Amino acid sequence: MMPALGDAAALVLPDRQVSGPGSAAAKKEVLNVKGLSAGYGPMRVIHDLDLIVYAGERVGLVGLNGHGKSTLFYAIAGLTGWQRGSIRLNGTEVGRTRSQGPGRYTHLVVRRGLALIPQGDEIFHGLTAEEHLDSGAFTPRAWRERAERKRKVLDIFPPLRKLLHIPVGRLSGGERRMVSIGRGLMAEASLFLVDEPSLGLAPKIGKGVMAALMSVELGDSAMVIAEQNISLLQGRVDRIIGMHVGKLKGEASVGLGFQTRREA
Amino acid sequence: MDLGFILTNAVVLACIYGTLAIGISITWSSLGLINLAYGFIFAFAGYGAWLAAQYVLTNGAVVLAAGILTGALGGLIVCALAFIPIHDKPNFTVRGLIATLAINLIGTQSLMWWFGPRSKSLPEVFGTWKIPLGNMVLTADKVGNVVASIAMLAIVLKWMRSSRRGLEIRAMMMNPHAASIVGIGVRRTGFYVLAITGGLAGLASVLLSQTYYIAPFGGLTPMIKGVSIALCGGLGSVSGAVIAAMVLGLNEALTSVVLGGQYVLITQFLLIIAVLLVRPRGIAGILDKAREA
Repeated sequence: MMPALGDAAALVLPDRQVSGPGSAAAKKEVLNVKGLSAGYGPMRVIHDLDLIVYAGERVGLVGLNGHGKSTLFYAIAGLTGWQRGSIRLNGTEVGRTRSQGPGRYTHLVVRRGLALIPQGDEIFHGLTAEEHLDSGAFTPRAWRERAERKRKVLDIFPPLRKLLHIPVGRLSGGERRMVSIGRGLMAEASLFLVDEPSLGLAPKIGKGVMAALMSVELGDSAMVIAEQNISLLQGRVDRIIGMHVGKLKGEASVGLGFQTRREA
Repeated sequence: MDLGFILTNAVVLACIYGTLAIGISITWSSLGLINLAYGFIFAFAGYGAWLAAQYVLTNGAVVLAAGILTGALGGLIVCALAFIPIHDKPNFTVRGLIATLAINLIGTQSLMWWFGPRSKSLPEVFGTWKIPLGNMVLTADKVGNVVASIAMLAIVLKWMRSSRRGLEIRAMMMNPHAASIVGIGVRRTGFYVLAITGGLAGLASVLLSQTYYIAPFGGLTPMIKGVSIALCGGLGSVSGAVIAAMVLGLNEALTSVVLGGQYVLITQFLLIIAVLLVRPRGIAGILDKAREA
């Protein structure tokens, strides 16, 4: 049934000439989503969506409020009310058809290499920043290497050094965002899903956070950043995908589509 | 009226009820489960300790350990029956409440069926020595109660502060949604939480049996007191539970001396209602985005 509907599918198949780093042969799929639908109760937010993300890639996901960016991320993590369709993370199927139990399998998906940095501040108010970073290093290997990982995260967000022993509930919005992103980066992940990192922050701080995200060395992992402010992504991600009413609507390498639109 | 007697009694009761209340509070805030099977776990652990005293050794440490271990086992039974199957179903709070209540009723009836309605008494876990202190006498069971419960709570809280599993549990207490995002498995955490809080109930059971007897329905009143102390202190707050336990322990000791033991529950609930009228979230309840549903 899917190919017939096809507009999303046809547009979204990544264009190998335009997008992604490295040679086409070396590309490894980190995330392969096929025919994903998801939503909450009677509401269907994601409609038959296909998406492939390759290793080493930084992808921007743009779209208006309420068009399914966060829900797409939550569906990959198994946190939506219901979902169906295939989600392959590093070649392992983590998607399943389910009608209830949001979050029941999320920890298994996380163990397979997903780091979700959620929208807003999903933080633990009473834990200190340091405990926070520890809680991000959840897989056994990350936990053993957590001192090393913490050092790396602190290199990315130097202001956190002074805040390590303060309960996160007492930090400012920008500091919380750093903690929240830092927690995500602590994980031993091959796919980072960053949901609106600049949301609710002053423009300058938002830019700083975004610059820090861009400075993360991905290696073999990949990063998808959902963002409404295209100018923050421009020139810094490998490709940008538009999202509209629960479907992916075309994509562009950064140099092309969105730039021309801005000039017009 | 003997002030020293009232005070020592108040402290002893506060320690025992505080242990129970902290268990209930931790269970609620980390798992979203009001564990009404606590009364059953309490009685179950009492019988475990009794069996150990009967068939293994009457040594205090053995009896205490048996109580704590059977309590933890009781917690695991609750986890297997009332948490793992339904924790991700809609309306878990109410379902969990009813499921644990059912376990409580079934469990206490089975205890009655198995052991009979006659109450059992445990040996003196802490010996029979006494310390005269001014005009009061500190008996072994009182000192032992206080020391054992404070030591156990200190160990549990220290473990929650410093270990990885403790970090998991505290993260779940503060934001269950974010906890699942960082990869904390709800079911495994539930396993730890219920085992530990069960162990706390087991400890409280052995301690209280130094004053009262072990009976199939003996867990009901302590559970009601534990739940109400947890509520009064603010669900999810350990310090609140400690404060509320002190206040209510004092109230219980005072009431039983001044008015008579039969009025304890009345004054206790009047006090709790008064506290909750003034401060609906309890003495030290969390206002932040803690568990609300």
